Amino acid sequence: MTALSRAIARPDPVAGFGHRSPLHGLGRRRIGIVDLAAQSVAAVAPAAAATTVVLLVAGVAPGITVPAIVAAAVLSLCVARTVGEFARRFAAAGGLYTYTARGLGTRAGLAAGAAILTGYAAVAMFALLGGGYYATYLLAGIWPALDRPLVTAGAVIVEAALVAFVLVRGIRVSARAALVVESLSVALIVVLLCVLLVSIGPVDVAAVIGARTAGGLDPVALAAGAVIALTAFVGFESATTLGVESISPLRNVPRAITGTVVLSAALYVLAAVTQVAGFDALGGDLAASASPVNDLAAAYGLGGWGVVADIGIAASFLACAIGTTTALVRVLFAMSRDGVLPASLGRAHRRFGTPAAAVGAALPVIAGVPLVLVGAGVPVRDAMHVTLSVGAAGYIVSYVLVCVAAPVFLRRIRELTPVSAVIAGLSACALAAALVAFFVDDAAAGGTAGVVVMVLAVTAAVLIGVLRRRHGLEAIGRYDEPVAAQVLGGVPSPRRHDDA
Amino acid sequence: MRETAAPALSARQPGAVHSALSVLEAVAHLGAGVSAQRISAELGLPRATTYRLVNLLVEDEYLVRTPDLAGFALGAKVAQLAAVASPPVRLSSAARSVVDDARRVLRGGVHVALYVDRRIVVVDSDPDFPLSDEARLAREPERFALGRLLLVEDPAATGEVIEAARADLARWGATRQSGEITATTGCLALPIRDGAGVLAGALAFSGARHRVDEPDGVLAQLRPAADALAPLMV
Repeated sequence: MTALSRAIARPDPVAGFGHRSPLHGLGRRRIGIVDLAAQSVAAVAPAAAATTVVLLVAGVAPGITVPAIVAAAVLSLCVARTVGEFARRFAAAGGLYTYTARGLGTRAGLAAGAAILTGYAAVAMFALLGGGYYATYLLAGIWPALDRPLVTAGAVIVEAALVAFVLVRGIRVSARAALVVESLSVALIVVLLCVLLVSIGPVDVAAVIGARTAGGLDPVALAAGAVIALTAFVGFESATTLGVESISPLRNVPRAITGTVVLSAALYVLAAVTQVAGFDALGGDLAASASPVNDLAAAYGLGGWGVVADIGIAASFLACAIGTTTALVRVLFAMSRDGVLPASLGRAHRRFGTPAAAVGAALPVIAGVPLVLVGAGVPVRDAMHVTLSVGAAGYIVSYVLVCVAAPVFLRRIRELTPVSAVIAGLSACALAAALVAFFVDDAAAGGTAGVVVMVLAVTAAVLIGVLRRRHGLEAIGRYDEPVAAQVLGGVPSPRRHDDA
Repeated sequence: MRETAAPALSARQPGAVHSALSVLEAVAHLGAGVSAQRISAELGLPRATTYRLVNLLVEDEYLVRTPDLAGFALGAKVAQLAAVASPPVRLSSAARSVVDDARRVLRGGVHVALYVDRRIVVVDSDPDFPLSDEARLAREPERFALGRLLLVEDPAATGEVIEAARADLARWGATRQSGEITATTGCLALPIRDGAGVLAGALAFSGARHRVDEPDGVLAQLRPAADALAPLMV
């Protein structure tokens, strides 16, 4: 141990590290892995997704619902592993935006940023609408005469105020709020599903795995079902945006995102098995049901549980709004610190160490769009469908970019392994195919999401062009660099990062 | 929430510990900025194994990545490894007589510590009233008066505990811990500074909690001892 003991006794001066992190101001190293996982789980909103996605998958992949969900889970795990390659190596508040910028440079980084911002913002809007929808639905049960759009609008405003409060108050508060709300709703759904599964009795395994489907396995239907099921997993990567604020981020962030995919997958498979087996036992058609869990609950004499499930779903939507907005404002914060967005957006709250300026800028938009939609008389379910589709497209585009960026990044730092390259490459191809299928499906169904995404994509392209010219962005993708004090013999270079 | 810092070690993989130390040794030998691939070549380890090891060592902050993310440098934390191997520091007989006098009049634990590379090195623990838990002092310095004194010197340190310790230091000239480890006892730490005023060590008292809550009596006897120790130790 000669060289090491010598280095410890008389460390050589090491220059090149800053006195403080480029992302200073955020409350560093505050939250543990449980809160970190809560962030990702909340953004995925598995309780809400478990009850809705099975029906949607059954619509395009009848008979092979469970295999389609398993396929989506495997793909999500591959993406989580690829995102984890970045998360194991540096902590960033920008998440996929910073990762892509580090791998593919400015233009691709900004594209991934625009895509993931679209994803987070649209899903936050969707979650506010969903929370409003279920709140209205529950209130209407007590008081049928109320003015539904007005109540929905009121609920959206209340939710947005709640989200703003927990987000500014601190990452611990918002992570804990998301954790409590989401665990409660997941627990409710799991209990309901288990009670149903027990009532259904012995499960016909052949029916569940799709072995009885006429004409054998249809790969096109399986792919279409997997694409829809994939949208139930998006958001698992959002813990990456809390890298700066997490304890041991290089260890905990990859674990949190992988754990989220595993947990969500388990819940979705349980939900799918219950619903498929339940309808199989009843001899009914799952795809034709309006609300399978409620139908099953009624059929097995658990009618009162429907309300419990609805409360769980409403709570899950609120947690989802908190989770996605948390991630969204950190990407805005990181973009501001990179000089892409105005510096004022990069201000952190002095006391709470939260990106308060970004919260103030983002929330009026996130709450405003749903209010305008509801005010314009758009049915809430339609508004939810459009926002969710736009959001899912945003997520998938950013996943494709980050999966392409990973091997390039690993090659640059000379740490590429064949396994990582194969997993990232296959994920990128599968996701790109899923994206195409997604748009084809949307266009075929006469959806407006494709048009909205197109408009957003053109706007983003123009903005990226302008931003690149104006700033001549040399290096975006700032991350939470180690400071000189963390380096043996580290000498702070005072001019580094003081522009931030 | 606190994370346990120690990664799970498997007794079946003693080789991994050896490899990890070899990686640290290689970084020390090759110098800051060395890449994982170069480390792998130097040690003759398979690349995938090397990448896994360096990432584990970065997670634990024994290594840090350079700002371009491609290179590695030793983390400040490796200095902790030296604590195990470094020879014990001993007090001079002049210093020892000052400490013995303080112990005679104070009837409580009197300890002397040095701060080396942001670590606490206990130089002389009172044999009659030994320190409660020296390993914990190194692991969770913010829970001890000795550790708080070290932490308040770091301008980047923040938090309720640190602010309270700063207030203590401003008011009493010492940091305190009262009833937080065991309900009936507390401790005090007085700074020992070198000629330039830099914190070099501390003289600590541990004893009944009321003597820490109302520290005037103890401080009146401890402060002259700390002043007398400073020129003898640093």
